[in-house]
Amino acid sequence: METSKIELSNVEGDKNLNATKSPSGWKIIGREIVRDKLALFSLILLTVIIILVYGVSLFLNQEEIVTVDLFSIHEKPSETHILGTDYGGRDVFGQLIIGTRNSLSIGILVTVMTGVIGIIFGLVAGYFGGTIDNILMRILDFFMVLPFLMIVIVFVAIVPKYSILSFSLIMTAFLWMGIARLIRSKALQEKELDYVQASKTLGTSNLKIMFTQVLPNLSSLIIVTMTLNLAANIGLESGLSFLGFGFPESTPSLGTLVSYARNPQTLEFRWWVWVPASVLILVLMLSINNVGQALKRATDARQRRG
Amino acid sequence: MSFLEVNDLKVHFPIRGGFFGGTQGYVKAVDGVSFSIEKGKTYGLVGESGSGKTTTGRAIIGLNKITSGKVLFDGQEINDLHRASKDIRRDIQMIFQDPYSSLNPKKRVSDIIAEPLRNYEKLTKGEEQKRVQELIELVGLSPESSVKYPHEFSGGQRQRIGIARAIALKPKLIIADEPVSALDVSVQAQVLNFMQDIQKELGLTYLFISHDLGVIKHMCDEIGIMYKGRYVESGTKEDIFNNPQHIYTKRLVAAIPDINPRNRSQHLQFRQEVKKEYEQSFNKYFDSEGLAYQLQPVSNTHLVALPEKG
Amino acid sequence: MWKFTLRRIVTMIPQVLLLSIIVFVLAKMMPGDALTGMVDPNVDPNTIAEKREALGLNDPWYEQYTRWLGGVFQGDLGQSIHFKMPVSELVWQRIVNSFWLSAFTLVLTYLIAIPLGITSGRYNDSWADRLITGYTYVGFAMPIFIFALVMLWVFGFYLDLFPTGGSIQPGIEPGTFEYIMSKIYHMLLPALSMALITTVSTVQYLRSEIVDTKQKDFILTARAKGASETRVYNRHILRNSLLPIAAFLGYEITGLIGGSIFIENIFSYPGMGQLFLSSISLRDYSVVTSLVLLFGMLTIIGGLLSDIILSLVDPRIRIK
Repeated sequence: METSKIELSNVEGDKNLNATKSPSGWKIIGREIVRDKLALFSLILLTVIIILVYGVSLFLNQEEIVTVDLFSIHEKPSETHILGTDYGGRDVFGQLIIGTRNSLSIGILVTVMTGVIGIIFGLVAGYFGGTIDNILMRILDFFMVLPFLMIVIVFVAIVPKYSILSFSLIMTAFLWMGIARLIRSKALQEKELDYVQASKTLGTSNLKIMFTQVLPNLSSLIIVTMTLNLAANIGLESGLSFLGFGFPESTPSLGTLVSYARNPQTLEFRWWVWVPASVLILVLMLSINNVGQALKRATDARQRRG
Repeated sequence: MSFLEVNDLKVHFPIRGGFFGGTQGYVKAVDGVSFSIEKGKTYGLVGESGSGKTTTGRAIIGLNKITSGKVLFDGQEINDLHRASKDIRRDIQMIFQDPYSSLNPKKRVSDIIAEPLRNYEKLTKGEEQKRVQELIELVGLSPESSVKYPHEFSGGQRQRIGIARAIALKPKLIIADEPVSALDVSVQAQVLNFMQDIQKELGLTYLFISHDLGVIKHMCDEIGIMYKGRYVESGTKEDIFNNPQHIYTKRLVAAIPDINPRNRSQHLQFRQEVKKEYEQSFNKYFDSEGLAYQLQPVSNTHLVALPEKG
Repeated sequence: MWKFTLRRIVTMIPQVLLLSIIVFVLAKMMPGDALTGMVDPNVDPNTIAEKREALGLNDPWYEQYTRWLGGVFQGDLGQSIHFKMPVSELVWQRIVNSFWLSAFTLVLTYLIAIPLGITSGRYNDSWADRLITGYTYVGFAMPIFIFALVMLWVFGFYLDLFPTGGSIQPGIEPGTFEYIMSKIYHMLLPALSMALITTVSTVQYLRSEIVDTKQKDFILTARAKGASETRVYNRHILRNSLLPIAAFLGYEITGLIGGSIFIENIFSYPGMGQLFLSSISLRDYSVVTSLVLLFGMLTIIGGLLSDIILSLVDPRIRIK
């Protein structure tokens, strides 16, 4: 069986035969979001809210808003107080704006922190496998067993110098497991691929391979998971503040505003205190979720609308 | 003195099982393999899936752990390539089978080819780019390729990127693990010819792993045939193709398609004879576990796995 | 299968042990100890110190831990500082309430989720499916406390359809039909609020499973053999899709625990969640630690249950 030598210059001809387009990239994500009317609307709405909230809060004086004013308790909405006042005479609208800003900021902070921890944990466990993976998974399994809400509430109750930072840290400490698991399973898959083996033969160190070769291939998973996590984290933080174990009362938060509804009078008759905050929490979570779902569809090969 | 020498190489994978996850047994992927390659030559390792040929290659380059045996490269023992000195590691490189997974989809071609250079040599950006362009040109790709991503290329082109990456450090030994098995037949020829060209130009020694005897015949001077982790026959090209001794080798040789349609009925008859012989003489050539015996010399260059005369 | 169960139980033991140690350490970290609530602060500090010594509160931590652990096994969870009664008694009262509420919630969840999921899967891309999918979308993102609040507002106060607090109408004879009806009446709104949110994951799962299975070749074969649509569904599709739901039961328990804290709070329902929150506020730490231990155990057992059922139900997962 003789094979003849063929001119190498001919080879350019087969360039288009087997080329496949990479399934993800910023263009694809953008296209998917635009096609999905809901996601597009959510994204725009979110941007508007963020700009409004962060912008207006620059003009608001937080100190003033949280100062108790016993002469103005439970006022109805008026010109001076667009949404009336709460049981301490504090302006509800101001609390709403600053509270949204706080909830967003803490949500992002916690998401980023859990992301960093989760990614490092998952990468190391998935890439090295074997004993290291076993040990790390035992640790992870243990953390998953702890009832999140209860443990966070207990920690919040006993931590002596309670601040926004300590709150974020406590939340992060019991929330990193979800993303760690996802990253780990994807890393386990990726490390079997030949390009990782090739990097090893080319002399690249394990650390470099993990973070410069494997990690970029996890980027779509990371973006989608962190976006969806952001929505969930905002919900968790509001829930905790609602129960009184989130932000301290001197720090306005959406959850605290909703918690005023625990008072049956406020629930029935003073809707302007808790309904706007509830609506805002809902809107934030829904819109972030919509964008996240659109991202998820963009990165999944079975794209519905792209 | 041989360039690469493999002595009684064994690679056993433990099977985990049982109540506490202890070791139940071993998968003997490579079970006592010995051969040697001279500098500048191409040695072919042949076998079907599961024969252990890929594992052998990976064990030599350090991607699989060696259970026992010795690997000597240019006189130096390199049983665990990971721990060997950096200088030796750069001299042995690998070309991978799957053009679709052997290149990182998120990296540009220039970064992929430059990776070994960045690990071993201190080059400035400019020097590095120059080397990369030289390599791209050498493998016959257009200069604009360096900024593109792997998915913009065909299978054959990707393999050539992989080859460019493998020769970047000017290695002495290249282990080619089924480099053309995933390519269309027409493209295969191009890549193989190219590999032969650069072998002469760069003075490379190849360990060529494949399941396709036709390809092996074209490329290799000496050949080793593996079955279930053991050698069944080894020898020069002439030994194997003109005078196959082991029934397994005969079956493989008979299976090579013949392009001449006039020989069709002849060829069919030949294959049927070989099949009959295989079924009848199975126990003469394989032991009770269905594994090959030790290799016995039949001539200076020709070794066959036969039961010991006795 | 028994081997599998045994192995899971064996891995469970260190988890439980670790949990208990953490709970114990947490308890120690909390300000105050067993004596704080029981002693009159005007008493001479020396006597207090003596009492401490006598009760073994100054012993090394591992001794205290072993003693505490021993007590737990015997059912002694310590004393509630606030209520001045054994924790176990306190917990027992509440556990019954929480249990019934959770059971009712689960029943409602499956009663709602299964028909919805099947409809959504069977008639997918119809308006019914779109409606249901929209519902799951919103339900997934909706925080449970907001939904519960709105339910309370609309059905409890505004429409005045349901009681807004407590687990029972005071003054009814226990054991009578009236009693049971009152109990159910009080549980309806909280259970419904919780259930409507919990259904979401089950509905989504059912829908995607049915849509996937529908497209499989063996369904095509069944139809080609002439089986009616209903038979195709009942015999083939549902069998594949429904059984794993039983396995998720264990995981639902974790969600129920978290949700119950909010629901019981909002509806003033006297269950374990309520007890937990009030104990924390009252700094009644012996109750708190016991509850954390209890809930942790429930989560672990829930996971174990899920794994066992899953292995029974799916022959592919059945190990060795």
